[in-house]
Amino acid sequence: MSLLEIKGHLGIGPIARGIALAASDDFSTRYDLDRDSGIFSRPSHKLYGEEFVGRILVLNAAKGGVASAWMLREMVEKEKAPLGLLLNDGNPVMAQGAAFAQIPFMDRFDVDITSAISTGDEIEIVPARGIVKILSRVKAKG
Amino acid sequence: MKLDDIEKAMLDGKHGKAAAWAIEFQKDVGTFFDAEDFVPIRLVHVSTDRETMGDSGIAFIEELGNLRPSERYPRAYATADFRGFDKENFSFLLPGRNLEVEGTQAVEALGKLGVVTNHAYVNDHSVTAPGFGEACGYSGTPSVIYMNSIVGARCNFEAGPSSLAAFFTGRVPRYGFHLDSKRFATHGFKLDFSPANIVDWGVVGALIGRELNSYWCVPALELTGPLPSVLELNHMALAMASYGSIAMFHVVNVTPEAPNWETAAGGKKLDVKTINSNHVKTFYQEWGGIGEDLDVVALSTPQLTVTEIIEVAALLEGKRVHDRTTLLIYAPKEIKQACARIGLTQMIEKAGARMVHGHDFFATFAKEIRLAHKWDRLMTHSVKMVNICEGYGYRPTPASIQRCIQSAVEGKVIG
Repeated sequence: MSLLEIKGHLGIGPIARGIALAASDDFSTRYDLDRDSGIFSRPSHKLYGEEFVGRILVLNAAKGGVASAWMLREMVEKEKAPLGLLLNDGNPVMAQGAAFAQIPFMDRFDVDITSAISTGDEIEIVPARGIVKILSRVKAKG
Repeated sequence: MKLDDIEKAMLDGKHGKAAAWAIEFQKDVGTFFDAEDFVPIRLVHVSTDRETMGDSGIAFIEELGNLRPSERYPRAYATADFRGFDKENFSFLLPGRNLEVEGTQAVEALGKLGVVTNHAYVNDHSVTAPGFGEACGYSGTPSVIYMNSIVGARCNFEAGPSSLAAFFTGRVPRYGFHLDSKRFATHGFKLDFSPANIVDWGVVGALIGRELNSYWCVPALELTGPLPSVLELNHMALAMASYGSIAMFHVVNVTPEAPNWETAAGGKKLDVKTINSNHVKTFYQEWGGIGEDLDVVALSTPQLTVTEIIEVAALLEGKRVHDRTTLLIYAPKEIKQACARIGLTQMIEKAGARMVHGHDFFATFAKEIRLAHKWDRLMTHSVKMVNICEGYGYRPTPASIQRCIQSAVEGKVIG
């Protein structure tokens, strides 16, 4: 039973259920992450210092260049990967990286996904149906 | 996606295991972006920096290489801009780690597949380039934006495994910049000043990238000053891609698909934002550092050409790099060898700087290098490198080559 379903474009990868880590900021594996320690390492990022391993990242746009395509799989192999990725605006690199790593990935939602989901919310991604389910809220949306 | 008979046969495994993996991967990505079908390609560029590929990337390529040749038959010509590792300098930069051996693994694995490795940037035309309007499967961020914008070839970011997939299928999904409609300008900009040097051009690219912040946006730019050089356009392109994930731009009356505003924008009327010198000044001020001790200067991204290295040698003539500062000058291996033949390398090394060939500074474990040397303040003329190295824990300052060299000699960031 979900509190809310959000529709997006059909996505990539398997179903995933987990806790969201959300911010109105952009995303690159190379620019923003310390991939060894599993935290956001870019001081100017809104998730600076936050641990991303095992969380479903909810962010605005894919940024930067091509590095993420190889890196996401390496992060999965080293058990330093997010559980899933939701972006308002993806790019080919993030789609290719997600497909190669088999990390669930969706974008192009009916709403601003970074406003609709808060850090701590429990969510389920169903990429094949283009749906994100909010299962429980960490706090009531105002 | 609509598949033709060959593509269906690939999917069914009738053209070998590598093609079967590749077409399925490409179909997933193409479906994600609503591609109707595939477009054939002749040329592929594989981006291979060792840090990005990781051990899993190497293992994946080795697995493909272990297939029988009939199971991994290539259907395109692929080059990898493998810039390797400079044994002498990397034993200084990252002691305790043998990057030369790690790099050789990638060269051998790709070579077994039939991917030609070289040491130069692809976008300097040192290898076969696509023609105007030709679809290609390029991987490197700077190569893709260069091909779309300056050459007029057609390409999406075919990153890492995606370019390998194109190598095995001889095609890429037809979406994004393969479509006429996606190549028109979506946003207009006008420069009301003349950038003073390549770093200023990089800042212009960063400002546009930040403003648009989407792969699907295509900026068009009108200039008021002299026409830019290809190197200046390249610095702008690198920064646009870095700060905004942008893969195509137009410069009106300069780039091939923008003889005028109307053609560049496909007949649409665009609002035009002005970028002035104050915007550029504010960008520089963001990064600060003036008066602080300087740990490292890295001139890279893109690696330097001979003309820039001549400038560096002239700036260093009769001077000495300060003891607390390391000055790194990156060039493709062939350029470094050419500089040695005409005495430039010796002039630079006599001043206490290091000429480094191989992958860019940011792409060679820059975080680990920072930790190994306890470095903090970085200077560079590359606005892209500033963006990346902030995430690796450096406090970077962008500046012209001239200011970078003067600061290296003083041992502190000069204004």
